[in-house]
Amino acid sequence: MAIQRCSQARSIQSLWLTGDWFGRLSARKGRQRSVHMMRRVFIAAILFVAVWAPSLLVAAEAGRADLMGKLCGDAASLGDVGRALVGIAADGSQDERAWATPVARAVIDRKLTCDTKGAVVISGEGSFDALTREQRVAVEGGRSPFLNLKNRALFETAVAALALRTAPDPTQRGAALRTLERQAAGLPEHLFEAAAEQESDAGLRAQMTAVAQAAALNSADPAKRIGALKRISATPDRRALTQVRALVADPAYAGDPEFKRAVDAAIATIERGITAGDVLAALYNGLSFASILFMAAIGLAVIFGLMGVINLAQGEMIMIGAYVTWMVQEGLRRLAPALLDWYLIIAIPAAFLVTAAVGIALEAILLRHLYRRPLMSLLATWAVSLFLINLVRVTFGTQNLNFVTPFYVAGGVPVIGDFIFTWNRMFAIAFAVLTLGITWGLMRLTPLGLNIRAVTQNRTMAGCIGIPVRRVDTMAFGLGSGLAGLAGLALAPIYSVNPQMGQNFIIDSFMVVVLGGVGTIVGTVVAALGIGQINVLIEPMWGAVAAKVIVLMMIIAFLQWRPEGLFAIKGRRK
Amino acid sequence: MKPLASDRAFLILLAAVLAVVLLLVISIATPFGLSAYLANVIGQLAAFAVLALSLDLIWGYLGILSLGHGLFFGIGGYVVAMHLLKHSHEVTGKVPDFMQFMGWAEFPFYWTGFGFFPYALLVTAVVTLLISGVFGYVSFRSRVGGVYFAITTQALVYVAMLLMFRNDTGFGGNNGMTGFTVVFGWPIGGSRVVIAMAAVSVLMLGLTLLGCRMLLAGRFGVLMIAARDDEVRLRTLGYETLRLKLVVWCLSALIAALAGMLYVPQVGIINPRLLAPELSLEIAVWVAIGGRGHLVGAVIGAVLVNAVKFWLSVAAPELWPFILSGLIVLVVLVFPNGLVDLAKLKLVRPTGLKHMASGTPELR
Amino acid sequence: MSTFSRRSFLQATGVAAAGLASPIGMPAIVRSAHAASGTVKLGCLFSSSGTMANIEGRLNHVVRMAADEINAKGGVNGRTIEVAVSDPASDWPLYAQVGKQMLEQDKVAALFGCWTSVSRKSVLPVVEQANGLLFYPLHFEGDENSKNIVYVNSPPASSVLPAVDYLMGEEGVSAKRFFMLGSDYVWPRTINKQLKGYWKSKGIPETAWREEYVPLGFSNFQTLVNQIRAFADKGGGKPIVVLTVVGSSIPDFLREFANQGIKATDVPVLGLDMVEADLEGLNTEPLVGHLNCWAYLQNAKSAANATFLKQWAEYVKAKNVPFKGDVVIDPMVSAYNSVHLWAMAAAKANSFDVLEVRKAFAGLSFDCPSGYKLGMTAENNYVSRGVFIGSVNEKQGFDILWQSKDAPKPVPFSPYG
Repeated sequence: MAIQRCSQARSIQSLWLTGDWFGRLSARKGRQRSVHMMRRVFIAAILFVAVWAPSLLVAAEAGRADLMGKLCGDAASLGDVGRALVGIAADGSQDERAWATPVARAVIDRKLTCDTKGAVVISGEGSFDALTREQRVAVEGGRSPFLNLKNRALFETAVAALALRTAPDPTQRGAALRTLERQAAGLPEHLFEAAAEQESDAGLRAQMTAVAQAAALNSADPAKRIGALKRISATPDRRALTQVRALVADPAYAGDPEFKRAVDAAIATIERGITAGDVLAALYNGLSFASILFMAAIGLAVIFGLMGVINLAQGEMIMIGAYVTWMVQEGLRRLAPALLDWYLIIAIPAAFLVTAAVGIALEAILLRHLYRRPLMSLLATWAVSLFLINLVRVTFGTQNLNFVTPFYVAGGVPVIGDFIFTWNRMFAIAFAVLTLGITWGLMRLTPLGLNIRAVTQNRTMAGCIGIPVRRVDTMAFGLGSGLAGLAGLALAPIYSVNPQMGQNFIIDSFMVVVLGGVGTIVGTVVAALGIGQINVLIEPMWGAVAAKVIVLMMIIAFLQWRPEGLFAIKGRRK
Repeated sequence: MKPLASDRAFLILLAAVLAVVLLLVISIATPFGLSAYLANVIGQLAAFAVLALSLDLIWGYLGILSLGHGLFFGIGGYVVAMHLLKHSHEVTGKVPDFMQFMGWAEFPFYWTGFGFFPYALLVTAVVTLLISGVFGYVSFRSRVGGVYFAITTQALVYVAMLLMFRNDTGFGGNNGMTGFTVVFGWPIGGSRVVIAMAAVSVLMLGLTLLGCRMLLAGRFGVLMIAARDDEVRLRTLGYETLRLKLVVWCLSALIAALAGMLYVPQVGIINPRLLAPELSLEIAVWVAIGGRGHLVGAVIGAVLVNAVKFWLSVAAPELWPFILSGLIVLVVLVFPNGLVDLAKLKLVRPTGLKHMASGTPELR
Repeated sequence: MSTFSRRSFLQATGVAAAGLASPIGMPAIVRSAHAASGTVKLGCLFSSSGTMANIEGRLNHVVRMAADEINAKGGVNGRTIEVAVSDPASDWPLYAQVGKQMLEQDKVAALFGCWTSVSRKSVLPVVEQANGLLFYPLHFEGDENSKNIVYVNSPPASSVLPAVDYLMGEEGVSAKRFFMLGSDYVWPRTINKQLKGYWKSKGIPETAWREEYVPLGFSNFQTLVNQIRAFADKGGGKPIVVLTVVGSSIPDFLREFANQGIKATDVPVLGLDMVEADLEGLNTEPLVGHLNCWAYLQNAKSAANATFLKQWAEYVKAKNVPFKGDVVIDPMVSAYNSVHLWAMAAAKANSFDVLEVRKAFAGLSFDCPSGYKLGMTAENNYVSRGVFIGSVNEKQGFDILWQSKDAPKPVPFSPYG
């Protein structure tokens, strides 16, 4: 308050000086008396304003108090406040905006408490009264105003609009602009223009002007409308299409040929963009599903190719990998909370080693005795899978595990049309590529890989030339299980993790392995890509179940015709 | 070949089965005997035993492991459920639940005629033969066997389950079909009817046992075992194994369908869970535990495992999966021929040819 | 040749028959020896394994807790309650099997069980034939009125329609377009059928809605969320998603929804089966604003709720229950209510016979932790419950957006199809 008075005084003084200068200016015209009179008039005007201004200020403050009162009222009044805040962002003074920003932010964050004396905002600097800015603590029994969906939308817009004008950091302003872009048509037009005027960053300013143009779709000026159309078709998506299509009913469409041309061109551009986006989305979804299938199947491919053992416990290895990831997360949470976001990376060796150890134990205890009896080993691995599921269930419980979503797998980036590039699936794809690289490297470049390939091709002969077949079996089983553990890690951000999760992958991974051809990595990759893509293409047409059914039937039919799969190691067909 | 009377274990089992039938008949006619609840459980166990027999026929004696026999079990079950629902509808006029929530005013066209039991029976046979025939023919002709065949049958039953889960398919979807009120004109809930159905199940078990025995005792049985032990050699000798395998495969499928027809009226509901891959795997487990390659083994395995499962789901539900997995591992590692190994020295002499008693060579 | 003789035949037959019957008969004998006089048995049909385990498993413990509470006050009709817990393993036919066993072998006085409508429909013929009583604690699709089932939770008229009405109204978002996404089984299909009838009665055209079904346990919602976005962007009015998927599909869907950047202010989701337990593993910041509708929400402000929450937290700690002590969901409270309702009815009828207990339902009233008074009438076995509409908050819970003034009378059969 005092500060405001001070600045008022200063401004009056400067006005006085200006008046003086004005007077002196007109003195150059030579009449002392008129200077004096002018000075008087000027000062009178200033005084008038000086009297009026406080009442303006008082009125403004009364307006603010009124807003505070409404803030602590019911849903309808909250809506009024929201709209008023947007208005302040567009038309208000810098002061008002500075006052409004923390208030709006606090309402969204639930850091505003309404009590008997008004409202209190709790922020980083402590808690202070929303109206007077004095430090005070909320009285007992206060409550936060609750935002229903309509009001939430209004307040989110208000926060973004205020941030657009007042945020110190250009990235924040850019983010606010992106939020507001989607509802540009419903906002006061001059909001963007005003923001652009005071914007220092050139790039941002250009964007703001563009958004202002886009908001002018329904303005009176046809040139502005055409500009808006061009701007809108630069970011094609279905929302834009709906907006532009609605213009076909507009009278200007029929009347103005240039406008008609612009609208048609815009529709064509947008439709092209949407189609491109849809194609990309289908490819991306297919790729992500394929990467999941690949990771689940690669371990199985190694084991099956080598030993002919169908490992029905593979799904449970995936599950164990996911659980190990969770335990690493919990460990980090307790011991090194700063590193918590990196748990996915830190857990990589843990997931691999633990599941590899489980796999090796399984092989040594159980499967070793069954290697000539594949059907029995099938039953045995199923028994182990049952055991593992229930062991985990009894130990950890049946509920889904709570995973922190690190920043590098959260959200997505809109690319073109309606295609959004989600980071968690990108993580899975990247991880799958990494797994592929590691496996390929292992198989091609290490002695173990050489042994595995040899034993896969001809077990007896490999034994004859001195390869320790049993040891290769054990190591390969460990490798296969470890790869499944890595799959579990990659899947943790995407799927729910519970004891049953492995069951969803068994049939699919087997189909991938058998289709691709036993024992070949290339086969697994191609089969995974094929199955993933076909599945994703059919899904929008007939639903997820029909897609799965059709894909499985196709694979079964294919296998009857060519049972060794796509890329088989040549051998005698019995 | 060998006269029937020489196999002690088989005869004992047959006698036991007949005794149970007699017991059940007594229970119907007089107030003494078993309660309806016990009779119902026995009837279900008998249906499972028939199912185990069907798998044992192709796995124990022909060496083909099918992990999708639940499919044929399900076919029989669904057809008999359709019959019961249609029949109930004709008698009581009540519209089945699944039609109510799908908003259908009348039965889909493929439901016509199922009120008539012989038609339902015919449809079961035809559909089973069609599916098993086509699948078997294509697989055996491509010489798909062993592990590949097992996985493909798993995929097949999984596909069937997914299809049946959809309500649009018209068989009650995930809800399944329940609310059977009438069987052959009698109320399905009545205790006498329950015991009678159990008696029929056990009787069918006995008949199936006899039938399989007769099949195996002849030249057919010798061929089957030869095909199991070394198919290439048999083919080299000039026998056409494709036809042999196909016939036994289709027969096995029919028996499984029969088991389904016996099971569903007794349990009062059918739902796609029956087509779950895990259940088909469990059939193989019953046979493995009891002793594959022995008809007696299959029956005992099925009865024992399911009896324990029933008991444990109420008494100690947490324990059942651990016990099952432990049992499987035990059987696989220590008793490769199932319980038959345990009793090897005592009562039981294995059926069929003598050299089967010593470790049957596994499939590669 | 064979040393077969008539004696060994008879011996063997006897042994075999006994052997066949023993695993079934013996436990019953053993159990009846255990069951002391002075107790009355109640049976639970909630899975502790399988897809439903995470949500159903808790209900076993709640029933036990309620039984302990009643026993501490002297039991029912002078007898202590003994709770028999089973595990139908999310396998619908097994619910029927176990239910039959409990009713006929163990002679339980009442059954408390089932979550999915499938499981309830499996058990229905069993309780009707054995003349038993099943207390069903979940809100469901209605269209059923068996005298052997007590419907402790709300049919659509008091669980779905209030929420849809809210969203369609001025106070809500003035919703005009609807994307129905459900798991493929009876409850979602019936709910959607009734909703379509309701919308038709309000003059909303068929082009304004879309129906999609996914299998139970489905988790890959990428394509479906794309479809929802395309549907939303088509324009023509504010769209909402009516979500009737159940179980683990709920968190999977919400996660994908948030990942694709859709906020509740753009497209609100009305998750009809969404409970606090489904939000347990999620970061709910991007999900704030989505709605659900139940007869109880954990944030309900009432003295009875505070007591119940404390009681549950202490019970979890004392008995080492493998579920969170700070999460309470509607079905838990309904299960708790069921046990008390049964105890009150049995005490009123001074008998455990099902017919007598059923007659005693008329006029029962009980203070539910939700803050409402539950009531039952002689007309049917439905229990009148209050209605809450909840809104997801940042703390993986639901804020109370709206609640009904009193407990409306339940409507078993929907007039909307």
